[in-house]
Amino acid sequence: MTATGPDHERWADAVGSYLLGALPPEEREGFAAHLDACPACRRDVEELGIAADALPLSVPPVAPPAALKDRIMTVVESEAELLAAAGRGADEPARAPARRPRGFLAGWLPRPGVALACAAVLLVAGGVAGALLAAAGDDARTVVADTRAPGAQVRLEIHDDASTLVARDMPAPPGGRIYQVWIKRPGRDPEPTSVLWSTRRDGSAEVAVPGSLDGVEAVLVTDEPQGGSDAPTTEPVITAETA
Amino acid sequence: MQLVRRGHAPAFEVIYERHSQAAFSLAYRMAGTRGVAEDVVQDAFLNIWRSGARYERTRGSVRTWVLGIVHHRAIDALRRSFVHERRRASDEGIEERLETGERTDVEAARREEAGSVRAALGHLPSEQSQVIELAYFGGFTHTEIAAMLDTPVGTVKGRMRLGLEKMRHALGGGQVSLG
Repeated sequence: MTATGPDHERWADAVGSYLLGALPPEEREGFAAHLDACPACRRDVEELGIAADALPLSVPPVAPPAALKDRIMTVVESEAELLAAAGRGADEPARAPARRPRGFLAGWLPRPGVALACAAVLLVAGGVAGALLAAAGDDARTVVADTRAPGAQVRLEIHDDASTLVARDMPAPPGGRIYQVWIKRPGRDPEPTSVLWSTRRDGSAEVAVPGSLDGVEAVLVTDEPQGGSDAPTTEPVITAETA
Repeated sequence: MQLVRRGHAPAFEVIYERHSQAAFSLAYRMAGTRGVAEDVVQDAFLNIWRSGARYERTRGSVRTWVLGIVHHRAIDALRRSFVHERRRASDEGIEERLETGERTDVEAARREEAGSVRAALGHLPSEQSQVIELAYFGGFTHTEIAAMLDTPVGTVKGRMRLGLEKMRHALGGGQVSLG
């Protein structure tokens, strides 16, 4: 007989619900902790998981639109370029002295060992990073951004050490291009950031702008070739004045 | 997946080509609208691209891993947007169904497996298939299902477990390939 863990009586009947994704959020952590400690439930999850994993096969096949792949690959290829720029060993622990990233990435990717994590956080399509920032409890303020995109609404939520651009009804960047975020300080040219992004299909996006905006006059967004640019090649499509 | 982990975009594209149809089909079945399904698949695949390192070969096929991520994202989307009313793919016509002309061995095997799973699900007592469908494809929690069916939570959980046990036996204890 397989050994059971603590509280087995309480959790044993939740295996099916867990496998079907039907555990209420408040029970998920408790069940996961029990699973770690209960060989019997782990065995049940493994065995019944065969049935749960087969359920997607019962669905009638529907072809995804080609535009969906285009949107995803635009972001992926941009991030791949960033990783390449950060060095071949960007996803491995640093063993040798770190190579400096080239071009506009200098200073943004401090060492190859963290490049993948930086890319994952900084390059946003449809708002992963926004969620990461949502819990920030500092004195946030919000400014409404100007945008040249007809019908689009954009705001900049400014926090102490990171801010978020929130867009609604924003068109996707033109084919083969991607949006890039720039920092504008008084009397200086716009400084590039490695924040590259696209929108969700519904035109929404939440885009993390890392770092403090102290001394920053405006946050700009332009559309650029994949991989980003060292200097803006188009007029800003979004201008969020921070002062 | 090792190449994807290293940020190799062409390797990711292969993963996308191989699994995007199953992913989109599942998302569409759950969300019921094409727009939400596209957002779910986009979020899921970008998550996969950025977290390839989390895939563990010993814990199942890439397909199972991909579909698991899509399933979780779809549930999140359903619970976030309360699209529960939308239910059942119906906002676009039947022309969206994939009418593939290809009859490769892989395609034929997939069709056969799909038939086995549908049969296994279809042979369950209705009260068991109902809670499985509401939970897995509907994104409802067992508490919500219990309230919906005016049935004790314990009964709902029991039906889920029993239904999965019967399906597993009907599928031959793991002979359905998800690879």
